[in-house]
Amino acid sequence: MAVCIAVIAKENYPLYIRSTPTENELKFHYMVHTSLDVVDEKISAMGKALVDQRELYLGLLYPTEDYKVYGYVTNSKVKFVMVVDSSNTALRDNEIRSMFRKLHNSYTDVMCNPFYNPGDRIQAFDNMVTSMMIQVC
Amino acid sequence: NKDLFVLTYGALVAQLCKDYEKDEDVNQYLDKMGYGIGTRLVEDFLARSCVGRCHSYSEIIDIIAQVAFKMYLGITPSVTCNNSSKNEFSLILEKNPLVEFVEELPAGRSSLCYCNLLCGIIRGALEMVHLAADVTFLQDRLKGDSVTEIGITFLKKRDEKKYRGKK
Repeated sequence: MAVCIAVIAKENYPLYIRSTPTENELKFHYMVHTSLDVVDEKISAMGKALVDQRELYLGLLYPTEDYKVYGYVTNSKVKFVMVVDSSNTALRDNEIRSMFRKLHNSYTDVMCNPFYNPGDRIQAFDNMVTSMMIQVC
Repeated sequence: NKDLFVLTYGALVAQLCKDYEKDEDVNQYLDKMGYGIGTRLVEDFLARSCVGRCHSYSEIIDIIAQVAFKMYLGITPSVTCNNSSKNEFSLILEKNPLVEFVEELPAGRSSLCYCNLLCGIIRGALEMVHLAADVTFLQDRLKGDSVTEIGITFLKKRDEKKYRGKK
């Protein structure tokens, strides 16, 4: 089950971050923050030659004892980070990919809203994220 | 491809919201712009659609709904007549392509008529064929109603002989 979902802007500040266990939110914020380094490493490791073939889904960023962190970056350098409970071994790569795709689609919908200024905090994600956090259980 | 058009309209409304504090001002400017568009658009419409002379207000409304909306927005609103003297009508839009990407009206803008441009267009077009009408939004999905409804009230009853209402 996804315990924390975050959308990070190009300048590395969070546009949206939400976690389910409401205690210890700070721990998740910190985890997401540290995972940004790994994301940057993965992006730069691709090298200039492979830029065309670069995939948006970054895969498992790093595992901790309780949680696994997955990353996804768009072409506009907006990053999606998802923290998943390690005890849920049934979650496969494909499922994580589809969750990221849904997130990406919702993000593009938010961008298309003429009243949304790029760089603002995102308000409209809550419904979709709640369904994602409960569903993948 | 409609996306560019819808996004352009959204940018227009967002910019007007930034320029004017009050919702009434934004609505008024949208209506004025729509009026300018309508007076010009009606020529294009008449040239392309070749509709014949209309003999009644309800025929005109039917043509607006079935031909004009279809031609320019790709939707066909349904028509209802609101009063017995046959000069008040409503166009009910199930699906409004202009608000496709808008989640909801921003906070503090609850009386904004997002599609007021459409009202201006209809008003301008009707005026160019010598029919004065009052066009407003009666219901708006963005404000919580179930459908979007545009009300058209024809103001002056024209003499039948001078009835050149070709729209």
